[in-house]
Amino acid sequence: MKACRYRLTGLAVVLAVGLPFVPLVLWALADRWFFPALWPQSFGLRAWTYITSTAGVQVLAAVGQSMAVAAITAVIAVAMAVPAGRALGLYEFKGKDLVSILLTLPVIVPPLCVAMGLHLWFIRLGLAETLGGVIGVHLTFSLPYAIFVLWGVFANYNPDFEDQARSLGASRFRVITRVMLPMILPGISVAALFAFLLSWSQYLSTLIIGGGRVMTLPVLLFALMGSGDRPVAAAVSLVFVTPALVALFFSARYLGARSLAGVR
Amino acid sequence: MGNLSLHNLTVGYGRRNIIQGFQLDVRDGELVSLLGPSGAGKTTILKVVAGLLPPTGGDILIDGRSVIGLAPEQRDAVMVFQKPLLFPFMNVEQNIAFGLRMQKRHPAEARQNVAEILSLTRLAGLEGRKVHALSGGQQQRVALARALVLKPSVLLLDEPLSNLDANLRQRMRDLIQTIQAETGMTMLFVTHDQSEALTISHRVALLLDGRLRQVGTPRELFHQPADPEVARFFGGKNFFQGRVQDELFIADFGQFLVGRQAGNGHLRTATVRPEDIIIAPRRKDSTAALTGRIVKVNFEGSATRIVVACAAGEFMVLTAQDRFTPGDEVELTLPPEKIRLFPLP
Repeated sequence: MKACRYRLTGLAVVLAVGLPFVPLVLWALADRWFFPALWPQSFGLRAWTYITSTAGVQVLAAVGQSMAVAAITAVIAVAMAVPAGRALGLYEFKGKDLVSILLTLPVIVPPLCVAMGLHLWFIRLGLAETLGGVIGVHLTFSLPYAIFVLWGVFANYNPDFEDQARSLGASRFRVITRVMLPMILPGISVAALFAFLLSWSQYLSTLIIGGGRVMTLPVLLFALMGSGDRPVAAAVSLVFVTPALVALFFSARYLGARSLAGVR
Repeated sequence: MGNLSLHNLTVGYGRRNIIQGFQLDVRDGELVSLLGPSGAGKTTILKVVAGLLPPTGGDILIDGRSVIGLAPEQRDAVMVFQKPLLFPFMNVEQNIAFGLRMQKRHPAEARQNVAEILSLTRLAGLEGRKVHALSGGQQQRVALARALVLKPSVLLLDEPLSNLDANLRQRMRDLIQTIQAETGMTMLFVTHDQSEALTISHRVALLLDGRLRQVGTPRELFHQPADPEVARFFGGKNFFQGRVQDELFIADFGQFLVGRQAGNGHLRTATVRPEDIIIAPRRKDSTAALTGRIVKVNFEGSATRIVVACAAGEFMVLTAQDRFTPGDEVELTLPPEKIRLFPLP
C-alpha cells in the first residue's frame, strides 16, 4: 500500500517535471510541424545545425556570458550572505525586523519596478550596459534568497563549536576556515545554487540594465522566439535548461531540510 | 607545571555581576571540582579561565603568569564542553589531532601523540570512525582525548558526564580519575552533582549564588559544612535551634553533650544528617527525648528514607532497616558527636 503510494507520487513528479519537456524536445527535433497535426510531419536536426553553426558563435557567447554572470553573482551573493546570515541567525540586535523587511523588498516589489528604478541610478553611476551593472541587478534578486538560506542555517548553528576550536588552539581566522565554513558547506551550496539559478534565469532585468549590450542566454532566447522560428527557440531553450538541471543534479544531495537545518 | 590561581575574579554580563570576588587556587596536579547548582556561574568561570569570556575584574594566573588579555588559543588551558562538540566533517583521529594541527606540530609526532591518547582513553581501533557512528560515551571520550592530547597546564572540564547515563557516567568518572592520576594533569572540573564532585576530586569548591562558600576536601565539605546552606546542598536536613550552655547544647526536646563551644549562652542552629539519626520502634516505657509518628516512607533500595513528625518538628531519617510503615510510633536518637552547630545568621 505504502510502496504503491510512493510509486504514484514518483510518477506524478516525473510527469509534472517531464511533460513540459516533451513538446520542447519534439519542437527542437521537428523539421516541419504544421497545424492541425498532433505530431511533427518530419523530423530533422535543422534547428541544432542552426544554433551550432550559423548562430553558433552567438549561442556560445551567450552561454559563456550567462555562466560568467551567474557564477560571479553566486560567489558575491554567498560571500555577502554568510556574514549577513550569521548576524541574523545567531545574534539579537536592534532593527533586526527592519533588516529582514528590507531584505525581502526586492523579492516582493515586481522585478520590473526594481530594474527600472535601478536603471536610472546605474546610468548615473556608469553601470548601465555593463557586465558589472547586470551582476549588480541580479544580486538584488539573488542576495535575499542566499541570505534567507544562510539565516536558516545559522539559526540552527551551534557557536559552541567555535569556542571549542578556539580553546583547542585555533585562531579567529582558522575558526572560520577550518570550522565554520566546513560546517555550513551544505547551506553554502544550496545558497549558491539558488543565487546561480536566479541569475541564470533573469531576463527582464538583464534586458533593462544590459540594454541589449550584455547578451545572456535568456536575452538571446527571447530574440530567437520573437523571430518565430520555433524549432530554434526550442533548441536554445534546451541549451538554456541544461546547466540548471546539471547544477541541480550535483547539489541534490545537499538539498532538503537536513542540510538547511545546519549541523548541531 | 599547572598552577592555576583566580584572584578576586569578577564577571558580569551587562551591569549584572554573575561572579563576584571569586578566589581559588588549584595546585599543580590537583583535581578540583567546582560544585554548585545550575545557574551558579560555574561554566562562566571556566569560560573566563579558557579566555572565551572577558572578566570585568580580578586576575587569572597560570603558573604565576597573568593570562588576562591573552587569546584563548594562546592560553595553556583547554576546555572540554558539556556536549562533545566533535567536528562532524572529521573522523575520530582528525578530531583528536585538531589541536595539534592548529599548533602546526610535525605530522609524525602528532600521529604518535594521538595513538598514545587513543589507548589512554580506550579508543584504539576507532580512529577511522565517523563521529556520528559513535555512541554517546565514545563521543565524550573523543572530546576528552582531543583536549588531553594537547597536554595543557590546566584542563577545564564543564560537566562532561552530564549527558551520559548512570552506568556510563560511573565508568567515565573512573577513567578521568585514572587519567588524572597517570598524567598528573591539573584539572578544574565543573559539576552540579555532589556525589560526582565528592568521588572524583581532591578538593571541592562550592559555589552558591555566584559566591564561593567553602573550599576543602570532600570529607571536610560533607562532614564540616561552613554554614547551613552548604550543609543543605549536601543533603543536610533536620535543622533545629537551641542554646549553648557550657558543654551542652540545649534544644526544646533535649540536651546534648557537644563539647566546649565558643559563644557560651548564644543561640545556635544545629543539624544532624538523616543517616546519623538512629530510629527504633517506640517502647512502652520510652524515655527517649524525641518520639513521633512516621508520616512517609520512601524505599530507595539500599536505604529507606523516613519522615517522622515529632512535637519539635519533622525529622528525616535515612536507615538501612526496612521494617517501618507510615503511622508507626518511633523514637529517634541523635548521637551528640554527629550534631553540627552553626552560629545564627
